[in-house]
Amino acid sequence: MLLISEYAADKPKSFMWGALLLSMLFIIFVAGGSLFPKQFSFIPSIKIDTDPENMLSSDEPVRIFHNERKKEYNIYDIIVVGVVNKKNEAGVFNPQSLKNIYDLGEYARQIAWSGEKGQEGVIEAEIISPSNVDNIEQAGLGTVRFEWLMKQPPQNEKEAKEIYDKAANIPFLKDTLVSGDGKAIALYIPITSKNISYKVADKLKEKISQFKGDDEYYITGLPIAQDTFGIEMFKQMAISAPMAMLLIFALMWYFFKSIKLIISPMIVAMVSVIITMGALILTGNTIHIMSSMIPVFIMPIAVLDAVHILSDFFDTYPRYKNRRKAIAHVMEELSKPMFFTTLTTAAGFGSLAFTPIPPVQIFGIFIAFGVLMAWILTITLVPAYIMLMNEKSLEGFGGVHHQDNPSSPMAKLLYKTGSFTYNHAKIVLLIMVILIGISVYGINKIEINDNPVKWFNKNHDIRIADKELNQRFAGTYMAYLELSSKNDLKEQFLTELTKSLNSNNEQQNILKNNLPKLGSDINAIKDFIYSKQDEATNDDIYYAWNDVAIIVDNIYGKFEIFKQPDMLRYIEKLQNHLLKTDLVGKSNALPDIVKTVYRELFLGEEKYFTIPDTQNAIAQTLMTYQNSHRPNDLWHFTTPSYDKTILWIQLKSGDNKDMNQVVKTVEDFLSSNKAPIELKHNWFGLTYINMLWQEKMVSGMMEAFLGSFIIVLIMMIFLFRSLLWGLLSMVPLTITIAFIYGIIGLIGKDYDMPVAVLSSLSLGLAIDYAIHFLARSREAAKKHGKWKDTVKAVFGEPARAITRNVIVIGAGFTPLLFAPLVPYNTVGFFISAILFFAGIATLLILPSLIKIMERLLFKQERKTS
Amino acid sequence: MKRMITLFSVLLLINTNPALAIEVNEIVAKANHAAYYQGDDGRARVKMEIIDKQGRKRTRDFVILRKDIGDDDKEQKFYVYFNRPADVNKTVFMVWKHIDKDDDRWMYLPALDLVKRIAATDERTSFVGSDFFYEDVSGRNPTEDTHELLETTDNYYILKSTPKNPDTVEFSYFKSYIHKTSFIPVKVEFYDKGGKKYREASVEKVENIQGYQTVTQGKMKDLRTGSQTILSYSAVQYDIDLPEDIFTERYLRNPPMNYIRR
Repeated sequence: MLLISEYAADKPKSFMWGALLLSMLFIIFVAGGSLFPKQFSFIPSIKIDTDPENMLSSDEPVRIFHNERKKEYNIYDIIVVGVVNKKNEAGVFNPQSLKNIYDLGEYARQIAWSGEKGQEGVIEAEIISPSNVDNIEQAGLGTVRFEWLMKQPPQNEKEAKEIYDKAANIPFLKDTLVSGDGKAIALYIPITSKNISYKVADKLKEKISQFKGDDEYYITGLPIAQDTFGIEMFKQMAISAPMAMLLIFALMWYFFKSIKLIISPMIVAMVSVIITMGALILTGNTIHIMSSMIPVFIMPIAVLDAVHILSDFFDTYPRYKNRRKAIAHVMEELSKPMFFTTLTTAAGFGSLAFTPIPPVQIFGIFIAFGVLMAWILTITLVPAYIMLMNEKSLEGFGGVHHQDNPSSPMAKLLYKTGSFTYNHAKIVLLIMVILIGISVYGINKIEINDNPVKWFNKNHDIRIADKELNQRFAGTYMAYLELSSKNDLKEQFLTELTKSLNSNNEQQNILKNNLPKLGSDINAIKDFIYSKQDEATNDDIYYAWNDVAIIVDNIYGKFEIFKQPDMLRYIEKLQNHLLKTDLVGKSNALPDIVKTVYRELFLGEEKYFTIPDTQNAIAQTLMTYQNSHRPNDLWHFTTPSYDKTILWIQLKSGDNKDMNQVVKTVEDFLSSNKAPIELKHNWFGLTYINMLWQEKMVSGMMEAFLGSFIIVLIMMIFLFRSLLWGLLSMVPLTITIAFIYGIIGLIGKDYDMPVAVLSSLSLGLAIDYAIHFLARSREAAKKHGKWKDTVKAVFGEPARAITRNVIVIGAGFTPLLFAPLVPYNTVGFFISAILFFAGIATLLILPSLIKIMERLLFKQERKTS
Repeated sequence: MKRMITLFSVLLLINTNPALAIEVNEIVAKANHAAYYQGDDGRARVKMEIIDKQGRKRTRDFVILRKDIGDDDKEQKFYVYFNRPADVNKTVFMVWKHIDKDDDRWMYLPALDLVKRIAATDERTSFVGSDFFYEDVSGRNPTEDTHELLETTDNYYILKSTPKNPDTVEFSYFKSYIHKTSFIPVKVEFYDKGGKKYREASVEKVENIQGYQTVTQGKMKDLRTGSQTILSYSAVQYDIDLPEDIFTERYLRNPPMNYIRR
């Protein structure tokens, strides 16, 4: 290590040019691949991925299931457009507002274009808007009517009001299309894929801007949130990271007084970020919410070592008055701790590669890579840069006359701190124990929770829309619960059919003999009967076969379990049970369709809002329902074989903990209420997937953290060649992490994705200070002997370097607090807090512990050395 | 200005050319007859296969009885009796088709023992969950649209029909390909308000039955949902002297089995 630094110091120019060239190369490649994808087709271009679904790998069973079921039940990603009118007494149920809503709904139908993957845009047939859904109602005595809810915009107030009344009478539409308070309407616009949502929303906004009136439009839905997040994410990469850089620069300038000198850490940070991000993009990885934070993480770590070098150089230079010699001294002193801090940081982040979440893996691996990159650059470029500086410009640098000299306030404070830890070690340790106690209490209060919509801050349009719509409607967060039979219905069907067919009947016997060949596929059996009917020479034979078909149908019907009254009543009971939790605003399922149509068949009387008693009655009710404009809506809830059904569960919040609660409620219900036919259940939908990756992440992070903790401990034992010193070095980071998570628990901040990642960051950063402190304490102890004397030396330059580090980097990340994206705020705040606590823990607790254990530590020390 | 007016009147003249207008109306009338009014009455067994985008198939079997009232290709009565699936067995739909007013429609749901009239304000709703509309089954009144002859090919007259009252329908126009000799509309394409084709009916099979060119298989495709429905007709019979009184409410609960099964 030293060798390469010396080499760099001897050939500074080649190293600087080399770094410049390398960065340029990366920039050119990334730009070439992204701006001219055709000419540079061999280079991957920048790919943005804001889809929280991708927190789970694409071959994860739940995602495969989710995608299969979306196809099977014709479910699409949806843009929700809420329309509210707060000025008009009738809300949006006035002619003008409804005319606008009508126009918007009709306009939305036409949003389509042919894109890369064929036809893209809005799925016209599945739009839910007043002009595109059916109303079923009484039309005079004994007459039932199907009509578009709003075929034409109403002409007067009365007609406008009627539209609300009609919709409110249909359980599907109430609290979904029209709000319970009768003031608002929500349109649900399904789109071919999530990544066109921004484009579609833009077109909708353009149309909306032409409308007159007092209506307020709110556009939301998970796809919009995700697409918007991607755009904001880029803004943040372009604004927050450079701002942080600028602030770090200003603070370093304050400490080192030499712009020229501090340019070197900036170069190190820049080049590290460029190469890491370049490598990320060029290896074909996507820029995800996690990986977008890589620059923000690499920067402090990259600057960290350079600050140590500069700090040491700053204090050493006046002694030598010779760059070359001063550098040699600094590198001699620092190369070992720097190497180890780098390894431990890289190990901390590298351990994330073992989490089960792909974006977190990529994040960990590339930060580890960036950290190693930064180390190589630091030990070469910083010495090279110093060598390139004019020796004259270093004149008066460092040393005695600055506020940083031993008589400066900081130096004095640190000196006092040093003696305080020596004189009052027990008090420090007592406070430490108390703090740990409080932290443990806080950690126990931590609530694990995340919600992608809450990644935007409270004032963001998306959060406002989210709040407005969830207040008025039954909830914009959808989860789907599929129920199906535990046993193989097809096999049971075949067995029972074989048993029921009478061998004495000619036709039944023919079918019976053919069953083994036909198998359990109902359509194969039906086609067989049809072929026999086609061959029939007269109607008698034709109807003899018809009778066989009816036997088949009747037996098959027993296995169309979700056409059976007791099964639908069971689901109805589950739905009612779910409503008792405040989390579920509403659920839509097969019983709702059956009950509504049945009621309208019987004069709309409320007492018929119930499930009819026979399977045939249900079948005929459903066939009546299918006489509407949208017969295929039925297949959003079940399959044509009625062997599976889904409940659409609308949650008022997308919080994982709420989803988790709903999942538990369902499980409790299913286990304490026996279904007439034994059922199994499966969840899908984005709200559920979000919950799953959160759970995976928490356990994965915990494992990764424990793993890297042990690895780092082993490295420390190796570094210090002592179990005791190794354990000692782990103390500040353990306390920092305990304390940080304690605070998170105490202030009620949810343990979410960025918070989970912080444990690795704490590990990586806090250990650095301990390594520097302990390594230099041991060096100093060799010279000074007793700890009482050593402590003074350690609280000189080494303590100052740590303090400078804490201040420069800790303060440097405050710009993140102003980002409109909450994960960035969280990271910004906690990076600063972690650095602060790690610094304090290192400077207070370590010397106090050393004081108490002086004999033990140094006795062993003497033995080993 | 004067020249403009002259030009305009010439265009007007072309459009109102009486010879051409008669021809279009004649084609429409003949096509209407070929599709819905052959014989005085008729009976057919129908197999309905609904196949969705995922290839999932559902079948329904019914018998359809039809009787024309008068010889002017106007009033008609239909009786649709469901055999299968078993759980809708004995369900009946009945239609009295009118020309100058809305059709009368009834349904009988045996499991609910319920006779119900269906308001006919909108006949463009699904027929029992298929891709066919009620209006496709009983026939759209030709006077509801204005027709123009777009093109005459070797085999077909290609007509464009535009609704006189566009607010009542979901299409902006439809194009029919009418076979020159049989006058069977072998293909009908529906276009939405954005000018995009979204629905297509086609004739898959034609047979000569009792001297009538008869469609024995027809298909309707919904291009938006990717679903399609195939109707296959068998045991087609014309001129079987169906009495008019079986097309009454009284026969919904007690189906005229002697006419349904022969």
